[in-house]
Amino acid sequence: MMKDLKQDSNGVKSEAGNTPRVIVFACKWCGLIGADAAGRKHAQLPAGFRVIPVECASRIEADAVIRAFSSGIDGVIVLGCHLGGCRFNAANHRTAKKLKLLYPLLETVGIDSKRFLLSFGTAHEHHQFEDLINRFYQGLQRLAPMDAWSGSYLSEMGQR
Amino acid sequence: MKLEFVKTICPYCGTGCGLLLQVRDSRVVTTLPDKKHPVAKGTLCIKGWAAHEFIHHPDRLTQPMLKKGDIFQPIPWDEAIGLAATKFKETAEKYGPDAVAGLSSAKCTNEDNYLFQKLIRAGFMTNNVDHCARLCHGPTAAAMSQALGSGAMTNSITDFVGADCIMMFGSNAAETHPIIMGEIYKGKDQGATLIVVDPRRTEVARNADIHLQIRPGSDIPLIGGMMRHILDNKLEAKEFIKERTEDFAELKNFLKEWSVRKASEECGISPDQLRQVAQIYARAGEAMIVFCMGITQHACGTANVFAICNLAMLCGHVGSAHSGICPLRGQNNVQGACDVGALPNVYPGYQSVADLVMKDKFERAWGRPLSDKPGMTVTEIISSSGTGIRALYIMAENPLLSDPNQNHVIESLPKLDFLVVQDIFLTETARFADLVLPGSCFAEKTGTFTNTERRIQLLHKVVDPPGDAKDDFTILCMLGRALGLDYDYTDPAQVMDEMAEVTPIMAGVHFNRLGSAGLQWPCPADDHPGTRFLHAGKFTRGKGLFVVPGYTPPKEMPDKDYPFTLITGRMFSHYHTGTMTRRSSFLNREVDKAFVEINPDDADAHGIQDGDKVRLSTRRGSISTTARITPRMNRGAIFAPFHFSEAPANALTIEELDPISKIPEFKACAASLVKE
Amino acid sequence: MSIVNDARAIVKKLLEEKQLDGVLGLSCKHDEPVPFVFESPEEVDSLVLEPKWLFAKLAMNIVRTSPADFRLGIVCRGCDERALIELIKRNQLDEKRIHVIGMACSREQAEACLCTRPYPAIPHLGEKVQGVDPREEETAKAFLEGETIDRMQRWTKELARCIKCYGCRNSCPICVCVPCKLEDDLWVRRGEIPADMVSYHLIRAFHLSDTCVACGGCTDACPVGIPLMLLQIAMRESLAKEYEYEAGTDPGRLSPVLSDLFVEPCEVYEEPGWPDSFKVSDET
Repeated sequence: MMKDLKQDSNGVKSEAGNTPRVIVFACKWCGLIGADAAGRKHAQLPAGFRVIPVECASRIEADAVIRAFSSGIDGVIVLGCHLGGCRFNAANHRTAKKLKLLYPLLETVGIDSKRFLLSFGTAHEHHQFEDLINRFYQGLQRLAPMDAWSGSYLSEMGQR
Repeated sequence: MKLEFVKTICPYCGTGCGLLLQVRDSRVVTTLPDKKHPVAKGTLCIKGWAAHEFIHHPDRLTQPMLKKGDIFQPIPWDEAIGLAATKFKETAEKYGPDAVAGLSSAKCTNEDNYLFQKLIRAGFMTNNVDHCARLCHGPTAAAMSQALGSGAMTNSITDFVGADCIMMFGSNAAETHPIIMGEIYKGKDQGATLIVVDPRRTEVARNADIHLQIRPGSDIPLIGGMMRHILDNKLEAKEFIKERTEDFAELKNFLKEWSVRKASEECGISPDQLRQVAQIYARAGEAMIVFCMGITQHACGTANVFAICNLAMLCGHVGSAHSGICPLRGQNNVQGACDVGALPNVYPGYQSVADLVMKDKFERAWGRPLSDKPGMTVTEIISSSGTGIRALYIMAENPLLSDPNQNHVIESLPKLDFLVVQDIFLTETARFADLVLPGSCFAEKTGTFTNTERRIQLLHKVVDPPGDAKDDFTILCMLGRALGLDYDYTDPAQVMDEMAEVTPIMAGVHFNRLGSAGLQWPCPADDHPGTRFLHAGKFTRGKGLFVVPGYTPPKEMPDKDYPFTLITGRMFSHYHTGTMTRRSSFLNREVDKAFVEINPDDADAHGIQDGDKVRLSTRRGSISTTARITPRMNRGAIFAPFHFSEAPANALTIEELDPISKIPEFKACAASLVKE
Repeated sequence: MSIVNDARAIVKKLLEEKQLDGVLGLSCKHDEPVPFVFESPEEVDSLVLEPKWLFAKLAMNIVRTSPADFRLGIVCRGCDERALIELIKRNQLDEKRIHVIGMACSREQAEACLCTRPYPAIPHLGEKVQGVDPREEETAKAFLEGETIDRMQRWTKELARCIKCYGCRNSCPICVCVPCKLEDDLWVRRGEIPADMVSYHLIRAFHLSDTCVACGGCTDACPVGIPLMLLQIAMRESLAKEYEYEAGTDPGRLSPVLSDLFVEPCEVYEEPGWPDSFKVSDET
């Protein structure tokens, strides 16, 4: 997954769409089910997001979210099971607490906290997933693309 | 608990940061910043933090070695010294004193350098002694001594805070002198306008207020255009010019041919921007100019420095606390090596060898007859190996990687009858030696380094050299005695005292005065506190001299076969020929293979992607390296660092020398790039 | 200079009575202060207390490389002691091997460091002064308050000066990981400056989210003057608000994010416009 991001972001020119690019880390016991269902229903969703299935939301470390932003990704969503229902000994509790600390950090440096969504137990059904994605994109539309601030600067340095 | 922290000075660049080495059981285990150091103030760059890593590397030379056939055999010290002395004496007798030459070291202490140049001069009656300053700030010393009377940085590193304008020519200080860059940024935060002149869009350029991305080698037109605009708009410092300078008429005449439009065409900067920059510099209350290799490493390097001196004097921006001209010296002690006379045309203290009064003075001080004929420079010494020069003594220099046109060096060195190399590792140059002497590094000696702001600072010995290696000071004393000189010194402090006697600018410098902040020369008396900035009131030579700079564009321009301009230089995590940094695990982890920077459009046009193996060739040679795509480079220019011996950038560079200071044109030659 | 005399008296006594085998502090025996392990009472006459020097990492290395019965005293400021506590909690240091001689900082020092707690748990030396709120300091405000877009520009401008010296990482008392993720090419692109603004600095800041003791070592070590400690302020405030937790103040309390919500609950997080996204569930 990370390698894909790297190859995409080093040197290859992206088809500069206006659609924000979003990565969704979806726990396969909950968030992925909603994502799959939405896919099977051919839901009308904005292009530009990728779903990365993970065994448990606790698999996602904050570094991955940060690395996504540094590559010019506009938004990151982490979907986990609801807070009573983690298969792996309430691992999502600790994930929730730890990743929540990203909000103050991102806000401090001026990466709007609307770019990061941490959500537990809200995307099991297809309509829930669609709803979530649409609302997230709505929030992003009001922000300048990550490209615009990191991009113009980063692309000057040739870093992505 | 055998744990200690010893204060010493960093062995890398000319900023001269203080640092603490932590020693446990006679091994240096880590480096810490020195919070009280006047320049570094508790910070270090990536190389400084890793300063200890190479000290105990297994590759360290531990015994003298003699080449027998193709193999180096260890021999005992007295045999080595005796052999060296005999061979040098035989060569001088057979071919004359000028057949012997020495390359001193900008990495060794002032005391080591003083003893080295005295050995060559008093031991052999020749002035064939030089060092790597030839390859970096030779033009600075030549031009600034002629124009101002002194070739050193006019102000101190902390003087950027307080300037209204800081103009950087050809300097990537964020990678080469990071701590100085920190001070420049502080100056910018306090209100200085930062203008950067560089063909590459480096980090420094991006953080500047104005970046002038000139064509490589077109500094004289740029400065000419600026000066023309300043004169046309009567912005020059009339009083200053009248009272403190000479030959202004010659300059005005020269500037008649440099209209702003012509200057703009030649250097590639728009006339408006050229005028804007000239305005800012001229109107500033106090302004500093910083310059480095981008100015000096050209075939018109000396002329480039004259142009800078002219600009500063035209606007009166020299000789006060926050106005001056700041060449950033490269090596940790290149300033010191120049100060103590490791140069073919001057004695210690920049006193000319051709001056018979000086010759007399030093003959009496040293008790031996001396030559009054200026000697050969580094590049000339290597070129005339086997014909003019027959025996060469190299101390801690690596010309095989640092001199231009590497193939020529590889052909020349074997032609010598006898080559002695004294170093801490078996460098690429040392492999060609007949005799190798194991020396010591910065942590293993007591002595002084002089940084770029003329600050003489004391190092403290931390550990002993490994195995049978000796302190460079000890080796020079042994060799000196073998040659019949009275090298009975027992302590480097005595050498400093002797230097003080014969060197007016350092007359008041003694080890017991060097405390924690050192002393900035000129320090002409025992109670003098040192000098923060130069040329206050009057220039060292009296009046500043305007010198017309002879402009020559780069000698080898791109053509059909070699369509790129190759710029060679440095990057932040390695140092020069990499002898020390390639053996430091932390620095090598950061970057461990050679690369060449290419503009993205150029890369597309040649079908090259980031990370591809490419063949970089010039008329001199060819290397295989890795492509790094970055918009930092303009179309038509490529950049390769010279740190990597497996892909030596100097196999490609051209041997065109500046006529006055003999510096090679490292910063521009024609190259081709092909995907492998 | 009576605080220095007090310090010397305390250290001398500890060494004379053989309560400790060595004391780590600053010595001016070579006309400049350097860290030193005082082992005999005679040496203590060269003990000094200035400038601010953090010993936690040094102490950890000394303890690791000295014999098992070597007891080390450390002359510590408040932040230094907090760093030691954090290292102890993370099993990097055995608390039985060290003894803290606490020193409270002066008001000037607290202002220079923007320190909210310029004193150790027990100040053997000096007088406790009130801390400083970084949000009230003019230059720090530009980095912490105001419009998001302004803050972004401010931080981008500062971080663009980074020369990747790793000084922040090297001087941080908590940054002891081997191998360090910042040297991993997968996470932080190598060989270019500035250090990737977002991935280098934010990864480092986030790794310290719940252990930063706000010592200011990072800011002190930065050659280009980036106020790195300010990156941590919001996260520390968040931990204080949600769990009443401050790193380094309670040796018995591990970081709250390491346990699940039943042990260390936190307030419901309400993202504006996302009221359901994050609810502490009452169901089990």
